[in-house]
Order: sequence, then C-alpha cells, then structure tokens
Amino acid sequence: MFNYLLFSTLLLTFGIAGLIISRKNIIILLMCLEIILLAANTNFVIFAKFWGDIAGQAFVFFVMTVAAAETAIGLALLVLVFRQKNSINVDDLNQLQG
Amino acid sequence: MEQLYYIALTIVSLPLLAALVIGLGNKKLPRYIAHWLACGCVGGSFVLSAYVLFGFITNKYVDLDINVYLWGQSGGLQITVGFLIDRLTALMMSVVSFVSLAVHIYTIGYMQEDPGYQRFFCYISLFTFSMLMLVMANNFAQLFFGWEAVGLVSYLLIGFWYQRDSATFAGLKAFIINRIGDLGFILGIAAILYYFDSLHYQTIFKDIPKFIATNSTIAIWPGTEWLAISVICICLFIGAMAKSAQVPLHVWLPDSMEGPTPISALIHAATMVTAGVFMVARMSPLFEYSTTALSLMTVIGAITCLFMGILAVIQSDIKRIVAYSTLSQLGYMVIALGVSAYSAAIFHLFTHAFFKALLFLGAGSVIVALHHEQNIFKMGGLYRSMPLTTAAMIVGSLALVGFPGTSGFYSKDLIIELTHKSQIPGAQLAYAAALITVFITTVYSFRLIYLVFFGNERMEDNTHMQPVHEPAKTILFPLVLLAIPSIAVGGIMIKSTLDGFLQGPLFVLAKHDVTQQFLQMDFHGALAMFLHGFISLPFLSLLLGGCIAWLCYIKYPLLPQVLQRDGKLLVALLQAKYGFDALYEKILMPLVRVVGNYCWRIGDILLIDRVLIGSTVQGIVRISVLLQKLQTGYLYHYIFIIIAGLLALLLGIMYL
Amino acid sequence: MQEIIFWLFAGIATTAALLVFTIKNPIRAIFALIVTFLATAATWLMLEAEFLAVTLVLVYVGAVMVLMLFVIMMLDIKATVNENRFNRWLPIGLTTAATLLIAVYQIISKADLKFVQPTATLSYTLTGSNTELLGILIFTDYLFQFILAGVLLLVAIIAAIALIYRGPHARKIQRPQQQVLVQAKNRVRLVDGV
Repeated sequence: MFNYLLFSTLLLTFGIAGLIISRKNIIILLMCLEIILLAANTNFVIFAKFWGDIAGQAFVFFVMTVAAAETAIGLALLVLVFRQKNSINVDDLNQLQG
Repeated sequence: MEQLYYIALTIVSLPLLAALVIGLGNKKLPRYIAHWLACGCVGGSFVLSAYVLFGFITNKYVDLDINVYLWGQSGGLQITVGFLIDRLTALMMSVVSFVSLAVHIYTIGYMQEDPGYQRFFCYISLFTFSMLMLVMANNFAQLFFGWEAVGLVSYLLIGFWYQRDSATFAGLKAFIINRIGDLGFILGIAAILYYFDSLHYQTIFKDIPKFIATNSTIAIWPGTEWLAISVICICLFIGAMAKSAQVPLHVWLPDSMEGPTPISALIHAATMVTAGVFMVARMSPLFEYSTTALSLMTVIGAITCLFMGILAVIQSDIKRIVAYSTLSQLGYMVIALGVSAYSAAIFHLFTHAFFKALLFLGAGSVIVALHHEQNIFKMGGLYRSMPLTTAAMIVGSLALVGFPGTSGFYSKDLIIELTHKSQIPGAQLAYAAALITVFITTVYSFRLIYLVFFGNERMEDNTHMQPVHEPAKTILFPLVLLAIPSIAVGGIMIKSTLDGFLQGPLFVLAKHDVTQQFLQMDFHGALAMFLHGFISLPFLSLLLGGCIAWLCYIKYPLLPQVLQRDGKLLVALLQAKYGFDALYEKILMPLVRVVGNYCWRIGDILLIDRVLIGSTVQGIVRISVLLQKLQTGYLYHYIFIIIAGLLALLLGIMYL
Repeated sequence: MQEIIFWLFAGIATTAALLVFTIKNPIRAIFALIVTFLATAATWLMLEAEFLAVTLVLVYVGAVMVLMLFVIMMLDIKATVNENRFNRWLPIGLTTAATLLIAVYQIISKADLKFVQPTATLSYTLTGSNTELLGILIFTDYLFQFILAGVLLLVAIIAAIALIYRGPHARKIQRPQQQVLVQAKNRVRLVDGV
C-alpha cells in the first residue's frame, strides 16, 4: 500500500510543481490541474481498495464529473481571454491588479 | 400638600410658557399679544406666589419637598426636578415675581421703539422662569440649572443691542466671570456629592452633624490640610461671589449696564445678583459649621461694600452710579451672611429688591425722557418737568441710605447692629466698613439726586428739541408700585423677620446667633427702632454724608473740581476702578490666552490631530497601500499562494 | 509479479506527468498527459476499480483531452520560448514540491497502513462486478449527489454556451417551410404580354 500512496504523492508533487513553474501557457496550467485531480482520485481508489469501502470509488465518480465540467468551463474562459488579448501567456493576464 | 404642589408647578410654568410662545413667535407675533401674554403670565405667577406666601404666613401651608420628575440617573445618583417650598422659597418667589411683573409693565413703555420688542419679553420671561427654578429647587442639580440659566439669560439681555460692540463685550464679560465663579460652585457641589452621596438638600442637611463629627480634611496642596466643610463652603461661596458680584469677581456688574434699563432693574438689582445671597442662606446649615468661610464672607462683603461705594462717587453715568450702589448693598448682604444673620441678609435682599429696582426704573424713566442721555452732568433741574419720577427717586434714595422709617433703614440698620454684636473674626472690621459706607452712600445718592433733578439745566441742545416730560404711564406705574413697598415693608416685616419667620429654613448655631441676641436684648418693636434710629451711629454717618454732599454740590459747586485737581493719584486710582479691570485684561487674560495657545498647539494640533488621528488615518492608508501590493493580478502569484498556504497548513498540522 | 507491473505503469505515469510541464510544444504536452491518464487507468485496474479506469479513459482522455487539443489547435499560439522567466520560478517550484513530497512521505511512512478485509457491511456484497457494486451505491445511498452531479453538468453546459455565445449572426441558411409556401404571383410579374 505504501507504494501506491507514494505513487499518488509523486503525481501530486509533479502536478503542483508544474502549476508553479508553468508560465508560458495557461493550457499547461489546466493540464497540471488535471494531474493534481488525478492524484487525488488515485488516492481515493487506493484507500477504497485497502479499506474495503467502495464509497471511495463513488467519490471518484463524482470528482471526475466535476473535474470534467470544470475543465470545459476553464477552456471556454480561456478562449474568451484569448479573444480579448490574443495571447495566453500567463504573464499577460494582470488586469486584476489593484 | 397637593394644592401647593400644583400651585408651584403653575408658578414655574407660566413664565416658561410665555417665553416659549413669544420666543417662537418673535416677529410674527403682534406686539400687544407679546406684552399681554408676558405680563399676564408673570402677573399670574406673582398672584400665586403671594398667595403661597400668605399661606405660609398664616400657617396654612407647611414645607413641601417633592420631586416632580426624574431627569436622569447615573449609578446611585438620581437627578430630579423637584420643588422645596418653604418660607424662604415663598419669600423669594414673591420678590422675584413682583419685581419681574413691575419690570414687565415697565418694558411696555421703555422698549416701545425697539425692534427687538418680542425678543426682550421672551428673555425676561425666560429669566423669571430660570430664577423661579433656582429658588424653588430642592437639589443642587436644579439649583445649578437655574444658576446657569440666569447667567445665560443675563448674557443674552446685556448684549441685547448686539450691534453695539461694547454690549457684546459686556455680555461676554458677565458670562465668563460667572463661569469662573461656577468653577468654584461646581467644585463645591462635587465635594458635597463626594461626602454626602446625594444632591438633595434635605438628605444633605440631615447628614451634616454626622459629617462634622468625622472632622474630615482635604489636602488642597500636598502638605496643607483644610477642613472639608470649609473647603466646601468656600467653593460654594466662590460661586456666590461671581453671581452676587463680590470683589474680585465684581467687574462684570458695572459693564452690564450696557443692557437696557429694565434688565438692570430686574437682573442686576433685584434678582440674579441676589441668587448668590439666597444660595448661601439656603445652605446655612452647611455654612454655620465653617467659621473660616463665615469670616471670609464678612471680610469680602466689607471690602466690596466700602470700596465699591467709593467708586460710585466719581461716576458720571446715572446707571453706573446705581450699579455701584448695588455692589455696595450686596456687600452688606454678604456681611450679614458672614455674621450668621441670615434672616437679616434675606430681609435686606427683600427690601433692597424694591428700592433698587425703583432707582433703576426711575433712572430709566429719566433716560427715556431725555432721549437716551445717560450722563448726569448733562442733566439737571428735572424736578419741574418730571415731578413723579423725582419723587420716586427721592423715595428710593432715602430707602437706600437708610433714612429712619424707610424699609431700607430697618434692614440696613439691622445688619449694622448685628455685625456690631458678632464675635467672629473680621466682624468689627465689617462694622467699621459698614458705617463708613453709610456715609459714602449718602454722598453719592445726594449727588445723584441733586445733579439730576435739581440745580441748573445742563442738557445739551439736541435733548432740548422737544420739551422734557414724564414718560408713558406704563413707565410710571411700576415706579409707584415699587415705591410703596420701599417705605412700607420695613416696619411691617421687621418683627416677623427677627421672630423667626425664616427660622425653619435658616439654621444658625447658638454661639453665632446674633439675631437671637438682638431680638432679646435690644429689640423693642418697630416703632422703637424707628425712633432709636435717629440717635444711632448710622444716622450720624448719614448726616455727615448729607453735610459733605451739600457742601460739595450746593454750597461750593467748584469744590469737587478742586479736589479732583489736587488728588490726582486718588482720582486716577478710582477711575481705574482699583485696577481690577486692568488686572484682568492686561495680566490674567493674556496668561490664560498663552495657556490656551499652548494647549491648542501642543494638545490639539500635535497630540490629537497629528499623533492620534493622523497616525491612525495615515497608518490605515499606509497599511492598505502595503496590502495593495498583495493584489498583483498575476494568476500564478495567486496559485502559488494557495499552494504555499496548503503546505503551511500541512506542516502546521504535522509539527504543531 | 504484480509489483513489477505496478512499478512499470507507475513509472510511466510519473514520467509522463513530469514531461507535461517540461515539454515546450503544447501538443506534445497534451500527449504526455494522455499517456499519464492511460497509465493511471492501468494502475486503477490493478486496484480493482475497473469501472473507474474505463471511465477515466472515456471521459478524460476521450473528451477532456480532445477538447484541450481542439482549443490548442484553434488558438493560434506561438510557442514562444522565454528561458529566463522559466528559470526564475524554477527553484521556488522545486523547493515547494520537494517540501510537499517530504512532508507527505513523512506522513505515509509513519502511518499505520493496513489492509482491511472487507466485511459485508463495509461494501455491499462481495460478489458482483465492480460496476454493479458501484451502481448499487450510487443509486441508493448517494442518489442525491448523483442527481446533483447531473445538474452540475447541465449548468456547465449552459455556462459554456453562455460564455461563448456572441449573439445572433446573420447566417445564410435555407428555410424550407418558407420555400414551399412561395407562390408564383409573389415572385413573377408579367410586365408586357403579347
């Protein structure tokens, strides 16, 4: 079990690292977000197996639903942003500066 | 007694009603409504007050101490509006309402051409209300309310012709000096509250013997211990000093003559200035236990009495002469208070109200007849054209100097006798001063009468345009109204005063009780006193004064000028009013201004504006600018902070 | 044996995850992500979550990744390379990631991890496929959440359309209903006839 958890942790770490490091592209950002969600889902599945409770998998089911919806909306927003600024470089999105 | 309570409420409410209606109506209210309403209300108050007084005389009523309304409560202290109606109160109420009524009627004629007619009536009705509240109070809070209110209305009335700079200055002076006295007064009230835990008269008076037994002391400066009761009484007396214009807080009274004559009569002769005397008399249970305070009062009264009288001799304004005369007579009252002759002091207050108001109103009559000319050197020979006024003024002056038979004689001579009998330190000094003052009083009264009414006519041409005649009936009627008590009241009331009409409210310790001694040993009735008056020392003083005055003004008219030329130093001193005004204006005021300036610069601007408010506001602005930098607008910054927060939380839970 | 297979797939998944944000070309990055998903799906199969593994491939790879590819290809982005900026945040990112890794490693290494034999009450019946079990759970205990998830998807659709919709365009299309209703006299007018 420890190995499985280590795997999930590594996925999470890479996801977070990618979230912080990625600068050029918002798409990369969204993809790293997906990796993080995947890591969480994996965690749930692992625990569902090892604690014998299938509710973990039910939870994954719902998380996947939400993640898909959220990605779709995120991409829609991305398209809108691109229409305005003609660039999806993360550095260019600073209009909320106060 | 229910009936007395309702009567008292009515007495107080009527002038207030008049003041409110006239005040709110002001220019829209026709003049006749204003004066009918005001006179009617004050007349009603007077009738009811006389009824109450009569009720007390015939023992129909007993003392009433009742709370009307709980104004506020703070901790255990209850501040109420209440009435204490006893004989002293009834007497004062009658005096106040009677003189107020006379002045109201007088005003109808005097202020006829003035544009602020309604405003004046509003103010004098308001004054009547305030004074009534003051005398009918049953606790210190209400007393103080009335105290301040009369001070306020006095300021409003002195500065009635506010376009005149001198009037506003005089009004401010009166109010500020009253405020200075009020400082002492408030300290006294605070001390009373501290020691007696209550502001209610009866509660305090009951607890006094217990308090005296404790012998508490207050350290004013570290190292000096003063008896607490003395401190309280002296503080209260400071308030009385300002209100009743004793030296050194007397400087406002001569300047207050800037106001119209009716108010000089009402406020600065009969009522407001007597508030201080009334207060001390009312607090006689307190004052009796402090010989220090009593001595102080005697001495100050003596100083005021004598020195202010001397100043009256050199004045050229008719109203100022009467003003200084008021100061002098107030000195008499305070002397009487000092020697524990409270009844005599109140009695003198009572008679003085009548003849002083008479003098002022008579002076006003002259002023109006000569078209607002106030310099006595520009008057003369008026007895031909204004006989009634002349007669009234002569009656008033006789009462003032204490000619045997007039009421002034009874009250003034009583005071002089009692002062002679008293044992407290300073009494004999006061006796001497009082005797000399009789002399001085005669001199200036005679001077006034002669220069104004007799001799050659020295009026300027512009007043000669129209022939001088008696002013309207509304002006003359109060003169007659006041002249009668100036003569009659003395003989009637002396027996009852001495006999203890005011025994209940006024408390005298046996060892101080000169009144009792006089009553038992020397008093043989009003008639006897009258006859004896012709051979007493005061009468001698009077005759001496009369002779000197006759010499100076009739026999050798140039004598005063010679004296003036030769005694330049004395004249200069007198004209500078002993330097009190100069002291206040040149030394004390700049000092206060410097302190105030310092407080403003350091306290206000530096401390409050810059440090407290400035740093708070500036601090907030700076912090917010700092926080603004957090809002970079960059997505990845926000993401990083989310992740860093998550990490911190994780580590925190793990390791803490 | 199982161990080796697991390590294989796990290794592929993590490597691909690493590649996602390292590759410069975004399309290749998406492909790396797809590989990650596939490998993870395999891992899930090993963890007896068959239904979820297949759903993962269908939903994520099949829909979400395709969507992303579409978006990348639709937006004409230039793969600009800005090396200095990349390097500036690198240490911070690495530090954070490393800290996180170490922290979680501490947790899981010290935790008391046990394999619990499923009892009847813990997972409905031990017989039946994973799909059946999951179905029973969702449709009985978690029905409300299931419906909510449906509503959520509805909302997502509406949101996506509402965001993009730019208003009615003038479009040239045929309207057959109106075509059929046309009459000759509305179209042709004889001007001059002999």
